[in-house]
Amino acid sequence: MNMIPDFKSIATKSPWIYRINAGSCNGCDVEMATTALIPRYDIERLGCQYCGSPRHADIVLISGPLTTKVMQAALVVFNEIPDPKVTVAVGVCPISGGIFRESYSVKAPIDQYFPVDVNVPGCPPRPQAIIEGVAKAIEIWRERM
Amino acid sequence: MSTQLTTLLAVFLFPGGLFALVLGLSLKGLDRRVAARLQGRIGPPLAQPFFDLVKLGFKRTMVPATASQPVFLGAPLVGVVSMLVAVALVPVSGLYSPDPMLGNLIVLLYLLMVPAIVLMIAGSASTSPYGALGFSREMTLMLAYEAPIVLAVLAVALRTGMGQGGVITFSLTDIIAYQRSHGMFLLDPVMWPALAAFALFFPANLGIIPFDIPEAETEVLEGPLLEYSGPALGLFKVMSALKAVVVLSLGIALFMPLPFDGIWGLVGWLVQLAVLMEIGVTVVRLSMGRMRIDQAFGFFLKWPLLLAIASVVTVTIVA
Ligand code: SF4
Repeated sequence: MNMIPDFKSIATKSPWIYRINAGSCNGCDVEMATTALIPRYDIERLGCQYCGSPRHADIVLISGPLTTKVMQAALVVFNEIPDPKVTVAVGVCPISGGIFRESYSVKAPIDQYFPVDVNVPGCPPRPQAIIEGVAKAIEIWRERM
Repeated sequence: MSTQLTTLLAVFLFPGGLFALVLGLSLKGLDRRVAARLQGRIGPPLAQPFFDLVKLGFKRTMVPATASQPVFLGAPLVGVVSMLVAVALVPVSGLYSPDPMLGNLIVLLYLLMVPAIVLMIAGSASTSPYGALGFSREMTLMLAYEAPIVLAVLAVALRTGMGQGGVITFSLTDIIAYQRSHGMFLLDPVMWPALAAFALFFPANLGIIPFDIPEAETEVLEGPLLEYSGPALGLFKVMSALKAVVVLSLGIALFMPLPFDGIWGLVGWLVQLAVLMEIGVTVVRLSMGRMRIDQAFGFFLKWPLLLAIASVVTVTIVA
């Protein structure tokens, strides 16, 4: 019986990350890509791996203010991600709409539609902040296992 | 001990099954770690592939509504089983030689093609358009690399067979025994074209950059694996870990078996595996970009095929 929690903490060492671009200006996406990929801010040391398919993902990073056009698609992709999953909203856009907040075609704040667990504010956030957001998400994920 | 029992042990314990699984996953971990270090990163812990596997065990397996469930879930099982048998078919110099009852080099070559076929079946059973794209790419690639590898292996078999006074031998145990008494084929210039063809086949069969075209995650979203999640995806990871061991140790058996016995044979074999993994996988995949499928197809029908044909011809002439 004692083995089960052990396996859970082993399992949380392997969070796979998936990005959903919900109408982002690409600033946040560039930061996310550099966070994981460039040598300086190495997120792979937490065991993270970017995956191409939503079915493989554990932690979802959503960026952008959720435009009307992209909303349905984003929700469909989000529902394809198997449980247990954790949602991280990257940038100030998902929180309030950011620089797009008065726009007619923007649905922010996105927590009306997605169960956001961690917010990483900033426009765009610094890579360190995104890594901290992912680290927080891993803790939440451990509880959900 | 009865032969059945030894064979079962070979398939499930050593060198197949558990041992090969741990070995394959460790090699993958080593690959990721060294890759990170070469890029100036810290990289994941060595045991990362084990963590990944445990994690996948906790996730839910989703089956697409339009997919054919038995085929979708059966495909990874077939792949893992074929690889388990394949590991048990590759002898380790001075340590292990498979029961002839289990099969020979020809059976092994067939089994080596099973993972590609399984991926094709998985891709088409998932009914995803990306899976279908992966299917067609996997098939094109397989058609391209199959001829060179068969010819390269044939060259080795001919060389050994003729060296032993016969015509051809398809027993890997004989091939190793021959090299142990006559020197490795690695040091034999006649065998270099075959070795080169095998070296080019190797990244394509393992599906790493520059030949990871069927599973390119930025182009076809991991192709056949797109719809897999949870334990089913874990089985695919197990399959590819086992496959790395099979292909690497086949390369060692064909070209560079060490003349040691017992514990030194084991240590030497493990070192060989690790070094080949680093040179053949990590460095290659970090220093190249992905080819297009038509480029890869043209490439394989040019260089490896020519090299393989040249090797068969030279071996026949020399002997
Ligand atoms: S938060 Fe700023 S950088 Fe990020 S998507 Fe919004 S506008 Fe772009």
